[in-house]
This record gives sequence, C-alpha cells and structure tokens, in this order.
Amino acid sequence: MSQDLYLLSSLPDSEEMEVSFGPQHPATHGVLRVMVRLDGERILDAKPIIGYLHRGTEKLFETMHFNGCIPHTDRLDYTTAAANNQAFVGAVERLMGVTIPPRAAWIRMMLAEMQRLASHIIWLATHALDIGAMSPFFYTFQERESILDLFEEYCGARLTLNAMRVGGQPFDLPEGWLGRLRAFVDQLPARIAEWERLLTGNRIWKQRTVGVGVISAADAINWGLTGPPLRGSGVRWDVRKALPYDGYDEVEFEVPIGQNGDTYDRYLVRMEEMRQSLRILRQCLDRLPDGPVMAKVPKVLKPPKGEVYHSVEGPKGELGFYLVSDGSTQPYRLHVRPSSFINLQSLPELVRGGLVADLVAIIGTLDIVLGEIDR
Amino acid sequence: MTNPWVAFVLVPMIKIVVILGTVVLATAYMSFFERRLVGFLQIRLGPNRVGWFGVLQPIADALKLFAKEDIVPSRVEKIVYLSGPVLIIVPSLVVFSVIPFGPPTTLFGLLPEPIAPFVTDINISVLFVMGVSSFGIYGIILGGWASNNKFSLMGGLRSAAQLISYEVPMGFAVVAVLLMAGSLSLVDIIEAQRQAHVWFVFPGIVAFFIYFVCGIAETNRNPFDLPEAEAELVGGFHTEYSGMKFAFYFLAEYANMILISSMATVLFFGGWLRPFPSWGWLSFLDVVPPFLWFVAKVAGFLYCYIWFRGTFPRVRFDQLMALGWKVFIPVSLANLMVIGAVIVLLGGGR
Amino acid sequence: MSVRKLLTDVLHLDLLAGLWQTARFSMSRKATVEYPEKRLEPAPRFRGMFGFSEERCTTCRACERACPIKIIHIESHLEDVEVDGKKRRKPVLDRYDIDVKRCMFCGLCEEACPTKPKAVWLTTKTYELATYERDMALYFTKERLQSWEGVVAYEGVVPPAAGQTPEDLGGKGGKE
Repeated sequence: MSQDLYLLSSLPDSEEMEVSFGPQHPATHGVLRVMVRLDGERILDAKPIIGYLHRGTEKLFETMHFNGCIPHTDRLDYTTAAANNQAFVGAVERLMGVTIPPRAAWIRMMLAEMQRLASHIIWLATHALDIGAMSPFFYTFQERESILDLFEEYCGARLTLNAMRVGGQPFDLPEGWLGRLRAFVDQLPARIAEWERLLTGNRIWKQRTVGVGVISAADAINWGLTGPPLRGSGVRWDVRKALPYDGYDEVEFEVPIGQNGDTYDRYLVRMEEMRQSLRILRQCLDRLPDGPVMAKVPKVLKPPKGEVYHSVEGPKGELGFYLVSDGSTQPYRLHVRPSSFINLQSLPELVRGGLVADLVAIIGTLDIVLGEIDR
Repeated sequence: MTNPWVAFVLVPMIKIVVILGTVVLATAYMSFFERRLVGFLQIRLGPNRVGWFGVLQPIADALKLFAKEDIVPSRVEKIVYLSGPVLIIVPSLVVFSVIPFGPPTTLFGLLPEPIAPFVTDINISVLFVMGVSSFGIYGIILGGWASNNKFSLMGGLRSAAQLISYEVPMGFAVVAVLLMAGSLSLVDIIEAQRQAHVWFVFPGIVAFFIYFVCGIAETNRNPFDLPEAEAELVGGFHTEYSGMKFAFYFLAEYANMILISSMATVLFFGGWLRPFPSWGWLSFLDVVPPFLWFVAKVAGFLYCYIWFRGTFPRVRFDQLMALGWKVFIPVSLANLMVIGAVIVLLGGGR
Repeated sequence: MSVRKLLTDVLHLDLLAGLWQTARFSMSRKATVEYPEKRLEPAPRFRGMFGFSEERCTTCRACERACPIKIIHIESHLEDVEVDGKKRRKPVLDRYDIDVKRCMFCGLCEEACPTKPKAVWLTTKTYELATYERDMALYFTKERLQSWEGVVAYEGVVPPAAGQTPEDLGGKGGKE
C-alpha cells in the first residue's frame, strides 16, 4: 500500500524528482495530496492520493433516521449544501412515492440555483487565486456573502443549510425575501461583467488557461466526467435537461458547452452557467406558485423496502444518492455518487506533460472539494 | 570643511547611517503601504489596528519576527542556509549608496556649505548598481538549495533563470539611456536630462517600458512572482525560512522594489527634477524641494507595483522565459539601434 | 478584427482594462466589518445557541429522538403536584443536558418540539461560543441553559450534573 504511493522507487542517477504536493499545500483545495514526478518543471506523472478527510459519512448514514441524514449531506461538499440536500431528499421521496407541492419544488430549485451561483463563485475565486490573480477572490466573495445572507434568512444557516426535508420544505419563505433575492439577481450581471473584465480578455489569464488540461469529448465520457468539465469538452449533458426533477422542466435555460475542452473553455462554461442560473432565478421569481410547502408525510419516515437512485445536476457535476431501504427508519445503505471524486480521476490524464503551474490550474478547473471526495 | 577627517570620514559616516536607516525604514513601511493599498484595491481595509490607522504595524511585525524562535530545519546545509539571508540583504542595501536622492543641499541653510544627499557619485554608478544588485541572486539560489526542500529548490532555480534572462533586456534598455546621456554616472544622467530639457522617458518610451517590466521580473513581483508563487511552490525559495531570516528576504524584496523604482526615476523621469524643467511658467513647482520630487516619483512606481499585484494573474515559467528571450531581447536591441541611429543623425554622440 | 487585436496587443488594452477595474474597486466602499466594535446582526431565523425553558418542557423526548447525533440527554420522573386544589401527576425534568460542543446546529430538535411556544429553540442569535476550555465548557445542563448569558468564560465552567463524574460525561477528568 505504502509502496503504491510512490511513482518512482529509486533512480539515483536520474534527474527526475518526486514531489509530494499536499496534503498541506495552498493550492490543493483542502487536503488533497498529489504525488508528482517531475523532470525539471515538466510533469511526467501524477497520482492523487485521497482519504485525509475521510469521516465515514456513508456508514454514519446507516445509523440515522432519514431527516437526520440531511444535515450530514450538507457536509459532503460543504460548498454545495443545497444541491446535496436536494439529491438526498429526492432519493427518499422517489422511494416513498411522495410528490412534493409545486411551491416546495420551486423553492428547492431557487435554493439549488443560488447554491450553484455560490459554488461557481468559490470556484472562480480559488481558481483565479491559484493562477495568481488575488483580487477576484475578494470581489467574488462579497457577492457570495449576499447569497449566504439570503440562505441565512431562509433557513437560519449560511453554509450547512439543512434546508430541505423529505416531503417538501420545512418553512415557507420569509417576508421580503423574494424582493431581496430580486435585488441581488438584478445587480449580479454587472458584477460578473466586472470579474470578466479582469480575467476573460486578459492575455496572462489566456496564456495560463488556453490549451491547458485538454480532454476530448470521448475521453471525458470515458472518464465519467460530469458537470462543467464534461460540458467544456462539448458534450451537452445536464441532468436538469436530461432527467428533469423539481421544476426544471418548466423553466427555460440553455446548457452552455465549450469546444476545445481546455481550462479556458471550462472557465467560459461556468461563467455562462452563472448567467443561466440567474435566468432560472428570474423565472422563479416571476412564476413562483402559491400553496403549501410540505406534502403529507408521516412523522416517522419508513420508506418501503427497495432501492432507488436519484441524481441532480450539482454545481460540480452529477450528484447522485443510491439508497437501499430495508423498510426500517434508517437507510440500510446509502451510497453517494460524488461528482468531485469522479472528476478528480482524470487529473493524471490532464496534467501529464504539463508544467507544475498547470497542475495547479487543472486542480482549480476540476473544482474539487475534498469533503465530497473523501466523504 | 578643510579638515579631511570631517570631509572624508565624519560626513560620509553620517550620510551612510541616515540613508541606511531611511532605506530600512522605507522598506518596512513599504510592506505596510502594500498591505493597506492592496486592501483598498480589494475592497477591504488592510491592517489598521496598531497605532493611528495602523502606522505602527511594521514595528509590530518587526517585533514579532524578532521574537520568533530561530528555527533551523534539520538536514539543511547550515552555513549556506544561514548565509542566504545575508547574501540577499547586503547587496540590496549597498546599492543605495550611489542613488542620487537630490541635488547638493544646505538643508535650508543649516549647513555651512552644500552637501550632496547621497553617499557617493562614482562615474560608473549604473554598472555598480546593476552589478551589485545582481549579487542578490546568490542569496535566493543558495538559500533555496540549502533548505533541503524541493519547493525551495525549484523556487531558487526559477529565480536564477528569471534573473539571468531579464538582466539582458534590462541592460539593453539602460544602454539606450546611456546613449542619450553619454555618461554612466547617475548624477550626470539627471544633469543630461536637465540640459536636454526633456525627461528620457519621452524619447525612450520603449526602453522605459522594457526596463520597468524587467524590473518587475527582477524583483520577483506579480505577475512574474514565480520563484515564490505560493499556489505552486508554497513559499518558493523562502519556504523553510522563518523569523528574522525570513524578514531579511522580505526586506530585500522591498528594497529591490525601491531600487528599481529609484533607478527608473533617475534614468527615465529626471530624478529630482520637477516636471518639464525647461518650462518657465511651471517654475512655481520649484517650491517643492527636489528631494520630494524624487520621493513622489518613486512612490508612483511603487504604487504601480502594488496595483499590478492586485490585478494580474501569474504567468507560467515557460511563458516568462519566452517573453524574456523572444520578445524583450529583440525589441530592446532594435530599440537600441533606432536610438543610436537617431542620435547619430541628430549630430549628437559625444 | 486583426487591426483591433494588434492595437490591443501593442497597447496592452486587455491589461489596462483590468487595471482600470481594480482602480475603480479601490474607490468603492469597503466591505470590511470591523468585528469586535461592529457586528453583523444575524437573521431572525439564524440558528445559534440554544434557548431552553423548563416550564414549557413536557419531557416528551421528541428532541432527543430527533437529534441525529444524540447529544441531548433527558431524564425525568413523574411527581404528584397540587394544581388549583386538584392532585395531578406531572412530569419533572431531572436532567436536560446538551453537549453543545458536538452540536452542528441543524435545528431538528427545535422542529421536533411539540410545545407552543417551543421549549427548546436555536434562534437566540448568539454565535460567539468560543471557550478556553474544551471538555466541560460547552456542556450545558438545564440550569446553565436557562441562566446562560452569552459569554462562556473560563471560570464559568459548570460542574458535572448530580451523580455524574466528568468521565461519565465524556470529559477526560483529572488524570489521563
């Protein structure tokens, strides 16, 4: 096991060098460790090593009642808590055959799109910081703060939302919330334009991202990539369009795709996704249905015996929960299909032949969160 | 001042102490201004707690760094490791001995006869500055190598390659000025700009651009801060240094920034001269002492440094090399030829 | 296109646009809130420190069951009390402990509480829970939950509940 970690046993006369990037490293987004074999600055091989944040969440789920699992899903990918909640409660609801009221579905959609914005904002901030542009981090986080404030007003938490329950939403929207969301949605396009002015046309940014970490559409599918890394290669696959859930079949939005499958295209895809999220949010604000937010579900949840897979389009890719129930109040087994984990698999393929600086850019463009990878 | 002891020992000693103290203090405050200004660029406040608007922050930083445990990691090359900070800080302070901060002054009549506010003016000042400041690379590369850390080693190697590549176009850019001024003495260069009634930045705009960009690269600053790119190399060559040893690297970087800015001021922006020294109707600007003109121009360049840091991403190593060898060297050579030809055509060429 | 691109390349318009943008930001209002002097007010629904009312509590234990990580400990017994001259059996809390240092503030206990108004709630807007002591400082008994005023000082460490030793409560106690 420990021998496997090393790519190079011993080559005393070689000029190749083996460097351990992480687990404590400024640019590995948490506790990712990458063993890199270098020839000067050029990367010959890389191998991600994970497990430094393993908390046994999937096993923990088996000891909790269904609503008690929801706060734990928050902590898988802690930047996309709403999407995690949405995927989990969706799986339980599908197994129980519950249909949630339309207002609850639309509130979920709104929370998920706000979370997508927040997650893409973090991605932009850290990606730019990794490539050396320091300021976008602060500009973007200011806007993320507004989203978190709205989350806080809705459910009382900023990061670990616990904002959905099996059968609907635990609370209705507070008064004036929609107006504040509209104000935010109206001012964000100007902010996105400001961020783009700093990066999109900037020659240094282009030099660092165009042609870096290229993956073809066929390879992207073979590696199982989902989300922006897949769409950046030109594959138009989005769970929201392909297998609509909640209210996504009733709203209009585009699925942006890239052409070259490089870091710059993935950047452009995510920037466009932010605009599309705003478009969905505007439609939600205009057409939010009235009614109850909670369906009739028993207080003690006992899904029937069986198994179900439900997935949503998380900000980082397809996020799925595979739930097996034995008819008791606790899941018999709950498996997470984590988007970050599967996207990370392509890292060696993407960085091989690049430079050390490209490794950092590619880790940034895959947009991984170790909480979800290690679980 | 006929006594040679006064003229050749006492006065230079006082000058050295004053200039050294000022430069060290200025570098310390440079770090403070950088943190504040980068904060402003990033819609936040920066350090503002210690003293009035945080002006005592550098003192607090220095106290903290002094008080820190002096860590020498195991299995470092001890002598080389310890000499790294010395090798970088000494050259970066020594070069300030030839920087002309202002014309000879009597300090508003306090002194019996005018004294030049710089340690010395040697007739090869430009060579001296470029030569001595290049010594700093030894501190970086030896420190990076001796740290017994792969990130440090890569940082040191990057830095060596970067400095060697950018010395060349920088030198060519300076030669363009030397052609215009006809002297290697910094004081004479300022004098030449006064006699030519124009700052050399106007005829030498290309040379200035190359000089300043190379200067950013030489001082390892954003967007060319590859040797200490924290996202890639953790801390680069100073990863293993802490406490005062780190402070020396830190001070040297800021001293080099001030040096590059001072040189840009002297070579291209007329040193202590006021704007458009030949325009009589601007003579009311003379109320500002020449020294302050110098400081203001240097501050302007330093602000640009900070501004760039707050704006640009970092280039990649191979792109940096390509920029140096494939763009700057040919362009600076061509620029040199054009300026030389124009000087010959105009009948100059002293 | 090509003329424009040449112009952009030579004059570095792309870089100048970025510089212009940061310069504009430097003039804008700062986002910093200087914390100890100024504080942000949490939203009304903000899930912070617990509030607890012993009178409202019916000892139904719904919160104990709802807690996903089982950090609420309830013990109670029934007592004969006289209310308006009538004899009634009333539940009395012996113990209502919350191990707040393990709490993740999910709010499921508050949702489960059947009384109106709630006997346990998290909307106290208190989020400053830092302490200098790890083991017992954030272990709250029912008395401490009701008398707590928002500051946990080192001196304010609560002794273990009746009949409990620190070891029983998960603390490391006197000796290792």
